[in-house]
Amino acid sequence: MAIDFYWRLPTHGCHSSLRTHDYDRGDWSPLRPGNIAPGPASDGGADQFAYIDHLSQIAKAAEGAGFLGGLIPSFPGTEDPWVISSLLARETSTFRFMLAFQPGFGNPVHSARAAASLQRLSGGRALFNIITGGGGPSQLWWGDSFSHDDRYGRTREWLDVFRGVWGGGSFDYDGRFYQVENAGLAPLLANEEFPEMWFSGSSDAALEVAARHADYYLSWLEPFDQLADKFDRVKERTARLGGEQKCAIRVDLVARPTEEEAWREVQIGFENVSEERRRTRTRGTDSVGAARQDALRPADATRYDDLIVAPNLWGGFNLLRGGPALGIVGSYEQCAERLDELIALGADGFILAGTPHLEEAWRVGEEVLPLLGQSGVALLQAAE
Amino acid sequence: MTISAYWELDPAAEPQRFEPLAGRQLPGIVKSQRGPALNRFDYYAQVGSAAAQAGFSGLFIRHREEADESRVIAAAVAREVPGIVLVPEFPASVGSAVYAAKQAVSFQRSTRNRLGWAIAAAEGAADRRRSGDYIGADDLGERLEEFLTVARGVHAAQPFTFEGRHFAVKDGGFADPLNRADFPQVFLQGEDEEDLEYSARQADVHLFRASALADVSRQVETLDGLGKRTGRPVAYGLLQPVVARPFADEAQRHAERIGAPAEALVGSYDEVAARLADLAGVGISHFVFRSLPSLEEAYLVGQHVLPRLRARLSTLRVAA
Repeated sequence: MAIDFYWRLPTHGCHSSLRTHDYDRGDWSPLRPGNIAPGPASDGGADQFAYIDHLSQIAKAAEGAGFLGGLIPSFPGTEDPWVISSLLARETSTFRFMLAFQPGFGNPVHSARAAASLQRLSGGRALFNIITGGGGPSQLWWGDSFSHDDRYGRTREWLDVFRGVWGGGSFDYDGRFYQVENAGLAPLLANEEFPEMWFSGSSDAALEVAARHADYYLSWLEPFDQLADKFDRVKERTARLGGEQKCAIRVDLVARPTEEEAWREVQIGFENVSEERRRTRTRGTDSVGAARQDALRPADATRYDDLIVAPNLWGGFNLLRGGPALGIVGSYEQCAERLDELIALGADGFILAGTPHLEEAWRVGEEVLPLLGQSGVALLQAAE
Repeated sequence: MTISAYWELDPAAEPQRFEPLAGRQLPGIVKSQRGPALNRFDYYAQVGSAAAQAGFSGLFIRHREEADESRVIAAAVAREVPGIVLVPEFPASVGSAVYAAKQAVSFQRSTRNRLGWAIAAAEGAADRRRSGDYIGADDLGERLEEFLTVARGVHAAQPFTFEGRHFAVKDGGFADPLNRADFPQVFLQGEDEEDLEYSARQADVHLFRASALADVSRQVETLDGLGKRTGRPVAYGLLQPVVARPFADEAQRHAERIGAPAEALVGSYDEVAARLADLAGVGISHFVFRSLPSLEEAYLVGQHVLPRLRARLSTLRVAA
């Protein structure tokens, strides 16, 4: 069985190294010598490049290095996935755009039409990472005041309508959140492949909607036994409904020729984090996933190796950049072995990432992906 | 007076061009290599490129339920075609105003502020229900105003809080660097008094339907009056179909072939330029031109009418 490997587009700027925490790609930090996209021009202002030009480089690196495409995250401070995908579709060839999207933010009929247009523009390369969690002040920032479980109800209805109008025809729906009458995409738009849906969310409400609408159930990396248990529950729940659920993992890697070099990156990065930041916890969200990640990181860690939770697993990534805490650190061979183990415990797909995203797309594509399926665990599984 | 000239791209028009399901099939005797490598967006990009090369300031992309989404088209064209402004038209029913503003900002950052926003006129009740839009006809104006207030608000201020009937935000607003991009110029349209009142409060440019000079002049005066009360400047524009040829009879013949609407300006290059200069004289500064086929006509208008119009206006300016 072939596994889907995606990369990630950093939509909030990028660092040229995990060791430092100032963004020096994009304009999220003050413009300084050495900054990229934009860089400084001779007149002291910015040069002609915008951050989209750097994102274009990463997308092209990912498609060249063997990834199917990339996740395009969406948060209050980021570029927007719909815009990025529409801008970059014509200059990429095979890169599949996985748009992170909170369904409540778009009218489902209009969103279906825009998604079908994106499929026509890209030759069927659009897919979605449907997000419902977050919550708290961050949801109100977006202008969304629904409660946690209501948001999942809305996501389910949104997907019902999005799917209902996709193939054209005449679709009626009378839900609690959405109603349509005699709806359906027009004939020119109604022949596109329905985009794959990757679903996130760790709560019971999320798992229930995933079972109904998700092609892939996407989780951040968690300790392996915990993750195996979660995937089993998801797959079992979907099987009860008569379906088959694929599972995927979003995880950062620090892959280097030797394990020592990999930990050195992490150590220097950790030592450059302020004491205050080390003690900061995720606040202001009702996300169950974020809470599970926070539990992995002791607030009193003083050394980087206090955060090693298992061989090659480090729980401090969210100190070095936004996002999940747990990631993989090791030699190329060790990274491939850990990925093989995750495949053995039920992963059907991955969204990988590394900093800097451009150079690491090539590194992981050239050095780690070619080693997959050759470790002891993979060979053992193949023999079974 | 500086004139902004936009060329109109109607995504639903000319489906024979690059539309995989609607294109004319070539007979077997013609060796063909057209395939999936070419698609409809190649045509949009070509029309956009035509507008840029022929001297238009922008491309105005119509909202058509039966065709590709205008903002997706705008981004695809913008990345490929330098210089021109992209003005996608879309309805205020697209969803969250915050999300729409966030998308606009991302577009602006990626294209050096080349986005405009044209809000489409509201559709009839049955069409709105087909689009999942169930608010009452009486609420459409209020929703439009809240949509623009929130979209502009989250761009202009942080924290931004708003509690309306259609949109609510708490402690919102874009942070640096997103708030450094310009908010797109907002184009509204309509002829009713209510439309003009909303434009006086919310539009940067109000687009009128093309009509006789005296009617246009009267409507400009009405909006001028409303604008004086709100104290904010609104520019005036016209959605103007046009067919221009070296000789008037040639223009007339083409107008009959494509079925140009009654309000089209049809005539020789000089005649059309003279009528447009008259319109500029009563206050129209934004022209959204359209004709079919949109590629070829963009070149005709851009190469032959726009230079004549600009020459007339600069002569007028000197004379004044």
